[in-house]
Amino acid sequence: MEMTGEYRIEASRQKVWDALNDPEILKQSIPGCEEIERISDTELAAKVVAKVGPVKAKFSGQVTISDLDPPNSYRISGEGKGGAAGFAKGGANISLKSDGEATILSYEVDATVGGKLAQLGARLIDGTAKKMAGDFFKNFAEVVTEDADLYSAEKLNEVDTNEINHGINTSTRSKISISSWIIGLILAAAVILAIIVY
Amino acid sequence: MPTVSMTVNGENVSSEVEPRTLLVQYLRENLGLTGTHVGCDTSQCGACVVHVNGKSAKSCTMLAVQAEGSEVSTIEGLADGDTLHPMQEAFRENHGLQCGFCTPGMVMSAIDLVQTNSNPSEQDVREWLEGNLCRCTGYHNIVKSILAGAKTMQG
Amino acid sequence: MTETNIGAPVKRVEDKRFLTGRGRYTDDLNQPNQLYASILRSPHAHANLKKVDVSQAKAAPGVIDIFTGSDMAADEVGSLPCGWQIHSKDGSPMNEPGHPPMAVSKVRHVGDQVAIVIAETKSQARDAMEQIAVDYEVLPAAVNMDEALSGKALVHDDVPNNMCFDWEIGDKEATENSFSDAHKVVSIELINNRLIPNAMEPRAAVAQFDPSSGNYTLHTTTQNPHVIRLLMGAFVLQIPEHKLRIISHDVGGGFGSKIFHYAEEAILTWASAKVSQPIKWTAERSESFVTDAHGRDHETKADLALDKDGKFLGLRVSTKANIGAYLSTFGSSVPTYLYGTLLAGVYKTPAIYCEVKTVFTNTVPVDAYRGAGRPECTYLLERLVDKAAKETGIDPVEIRRINMIQPDQFPYQTPVALQYDVGDYPKAFETALKASDYEGFSSRREKSEGNGKKRGIGISTYIEACGIAPSAVAGALGARAGLYESAQVRVHPTGSVTLYTGTHNHGQGHETTFAQIVSDTLGIAFDQVEVSHGDTGEVQFGMGTYGSRSLAVGGPAVLKACNKIIDKAKKIAAHILEASEADIDFKDGVFSVSGTDRELAFGEVSLAAYVPHNYPIEELEPGLDENAFYDPLNFSFPAGCHICEVEIDPETGEVEVTDFTAVDDIGRVINPMIVEGQVQGGVAQGIGQALMEGCVYDKEGQLLTGSYMDYTMPRADNLPNLNVSTESVLGASNPLEVKGVGEVGSIGAPPAVINAILDALSSLGVEDISMPASPSKVWQAIHNA
Ligand code: FES
Ligand code: FES
Repeated sequence: MEMTGEYRIEASRQKVWDALNDPEILKQSIPGCEEIERISDTELAAKVVAKVGPVKAKFSGQVTISDLDPPNSYRISGEGKGGAAGFAKGGANISLKSDGEATILSYEVDATVGGKLAQLGARLIDGTAKKMAGDFFKNFAEVVTEDADLYSAEKLNEVDTNEINHGINTSTRSKISISSWIIGLILAAAVILAIIVY
Repeated sequence: MPTVSMTVNGENVSSEVEPRTLLVQYLRENLGLTGTHVGCDTSQCGACVVHVNGKSAKSCTMLAVQAEGSEVSTIEGLADGDTLHPMQEAFRENHGLQCGFCTPGMVMSAIDLVQTNSNPSEQDVREWLEGNLCRCTGYHNIVKSILAGAKTMQG
Repeated sequence: MTETNIGAPVKRVEDKRFLTGRGRYTDDLNQPNQLYASILRSPHAHANLKKVDVSQAKAAPGVIDIFTGSDMAADEVGSLPCGWQIHSKDGSPMNEPGHPPMAVSKVRHVGDQVAIVIAETKSQARDAMEQIAVDYEVLPAAVNMDEALSGKALVHDDVPNNMCFDWEIGDKEATENSFSDAHKVVSIELINNRLIPNAMEPRAAVAQFDPSSGNYTLHTTTQNPHVIRLLMGAFVLQIPEHKLRIISHDVGGGFGSKIFHYAEEAILTWASAKVSQPIKWTAERSESFVTDAHGRDHETKADLALDKDGKFLGLRVSTKANIGAYLSTFGSSVPTYLYGTLLAGVYKTPAIYCEVKTVFTNTVPVDAYRGAGRPECTYLLERLVDKAAKETGIDPVEIRRINMIQPDQFPYQTPVALQYDVGDYPKAFETALKASDYEGFSSRREKSEGNGKKRGIGISTYIEACGIAPSAVAGALGARAGLYESAQVRVHPTGSVTLYTGTHNHGQGHETTFAQIVSDTLGIAFDQVEVSHGDTGEVQFGMGTYGSRSLAVGGPAVLKACNKIIDKAKKIAAHILEASEADIDFKDGVFSVSGTDRELAFGEVSLAAYVPHNYPIEELEPGLDENAFYDPLNFSFPAGCHICEVEIDPETGEVEVTDFTAVDDIGRVINPMIVEGQVQGGVAQGIGQALMEGCVYDKEGQLLTGSYMDYTMPRADNLPNLNVSTESVLGASNPLEVKGVGEVGSIGAPPAVINAILDALSSLGVEDISMPASPSKVWQAIHNA
């Protein structure tokens, strides 16, 4: 599965870039994020916990950033380990474009999951990942724009009233997308959610 | 731990349970009513079907605390002493079971069907059983049993 | 015939407990002080286990202990054994790599055992499991067979090219010669899709160690408790059999998947001694998907040589069989002796040669699933015969008639080792044609066409060897066990009887069928007989239930024990009636002196046996309790004909099975109600294989069909009513004259369904379709034609 998407955030490109590199902002934005830690300039580690119904899982993710071109784009790759739940690994390209006062963030993710995640989550992950991504961007935009004292985030495609699905295209099954330290973690958590929901 | 109270097969029961306890776990593990089975972890096999307030429900999709105050009945509560419920009897008469694992869920589902539709057609029965898997019988005799049970239940 | 004698459709005695929720399935049982286990499983298809860190998990609430493969290795726990040794063409024995119950250095399939967490509650065990940190070094996986045979990724470092064995059967030269004489050669390539057995009850086990006696008890979901005791006790844990008791009461379906000795049984039994408390483990369905042995998974190329009249001259078969990551208990026998030996089918093909390459891959082990080898064989043959009909222009019915073995040709020696004892294949065949109204098909087709639908009819004939097996034959072919069966008939003082059988009932109705045999033979009331099975502490011995053997091998053992009872009782009666033993007649439960009115009821004799006041103590032991072991002389050979009719919506590719007719020769029928149920259930699984079920791995070895969301099980609304009947020739290989019925449905059905689909679509130019023929595949086939 590949997942691509775009988000429009009502803040300047530099601000968005800075926020994407601020572990504290990320921690606030990633649903269920317990801990996020900068290991080096290009490496981050995070823990995401999800607990729904009978299952609780802790996902630890490690990601590496490469191809840095501030404040335009970078590539991120990594792996999230969910213990008994399985794993998710892959990479993502993130780029930022100015659009007037606002910034358009686009991402392209490709990844695989394994273990119980693949077994049970395959068809649920798409939906859950979308929801998690939606939640992330909502939180992220709120934090960033609050900071900037700007207007709130706005969806790019008004035709799609479902913010969760906004701008995200997913192919059908089997290969699950993901990972970038943002999206990887979101999806790692999504993946946990997916198995829990079932 | 929260306390949960309900009636199960006509008896009042009340216990402390972990909030995440599923109804099926509560029935099997706390109350020892092991006639209700668990055949999957994705809510698709129907081995766990019981009645909650008279309607069939998959007890693996419900938390015990969600059944608070409800009337729950399980396969153990169907027969009247030694006399089987007409649906149980129909399964016996028509060889509607082999290994017996899907059977409690099948019977509980079937009774709810007849309560909803007192004169089901073969097609109605087959469609109603969409949520109940049986690996042994090929369904042929289950369908036959339910049609026969429906007849007797109408009296 | 009374209402309960042999041949009567007696209602099952086991039903009442199941219908009232009082079955005793393994997960229903609890022991005092019981702990719960969760098993951590590999999420990778192939990886080195670099480090398993359990320290944090051990400190989690409720955790009693955690063990890994290294702990078991330190205790010198053995490898899970394979019960059948196969030799390759060159005479070398099969590659038999180790199969540790928990992975030691490497995991080899998604689901492989890594650690066991034992805690006070189930949820504590599960929570703690999340905290085990495993460092995997992921390796490339060998997932499909061609990849595996290239040897790029080695599932076992010591097995070159992942080849378990390269086996052959038949006369290669004679077969090649038949092809040079051929008027026509018809070729086919096909896949027999991998299936997941999916008995509705997930596997479970409760293990208990009694420190005071040193005895172990394991309750487990098995089809053969004595075999588990032997394999686990002798090969894995080194526990002598008198110290190990295996109990398997009610089991919620098996279909082969519960024959095998599984890792969890050994892990739990071993761990129960470590913690000196009972431990229970119950598989979640998602664990079942990645640990219960899978079935089928063959890729085959075959050629059939025909003469100008359509007579078969020779058959050449080359198969690759996926055996999965490890050799499961009977995995090696399935693609060989249960497959290649049946390739004659019901036909007179004079020359046959078959070679089978069996391959390790990073997938769940593959072993017997209902039919085991015989469905693969039948599917190949019947697809090939239909193709031959098409290519020669001979009608599919006619080409089968021409080639069928005739009733006067028995015993019939096939070119692939088996000797068929008796049969009348044309009879079942013609009966099936009639029962399905084959003649009237064209008008039904016209009607369907009028509604814009495509209609087709498909035939399949089959033969299977079951009643497994004559020990001498099995031994000569590599079996590491004998395959006899045992029975003990214990007559109680007042004349009631407990029968102990070494076969196992997990839905087949033995408690009823076997009671019919005893009550009929001893002439006592049906309700005076109780059947006991499934407990090595009660039952003398047994090889269990699989391969349709319970009645064909276990039944004669019961009969033999009953006859021993009658013999002894006659002696007692002779003494009491003061007659010579030769003058004692036994009929309907009464012993009489022939030509007189002096007689004794069965209960009077049994009482005398236990209250020996006036009893020939010098000549006869007191008591009336007899044991018998029965080893069959030959396999039994059920055969039959299945005919399927389908209607296809060309717009959607949806296939509806509108009619299914099965006419089976299964020998003597003890209980026709149960027999019909067995056939219906088997046919449903066969239709499932043909239309819905299929196991899919991605190229990394992740199971994509790992739940009921993705693995399509037949449901009530995608099956028709089934027209099932028997057309029996009494069996000749055992004194009960039975043949076996458990597997016929899953053997006969798949090719009938696929042949019907191809018949329906042939006018559109579709020539091939693979199983499962899902709507999308059918639609594709129509559009690609
Ligand atoms: S256990 Fe399978 S649906 Fe509830
Ligand atoms: S009777 Fe065995 S699953 Fe239905």
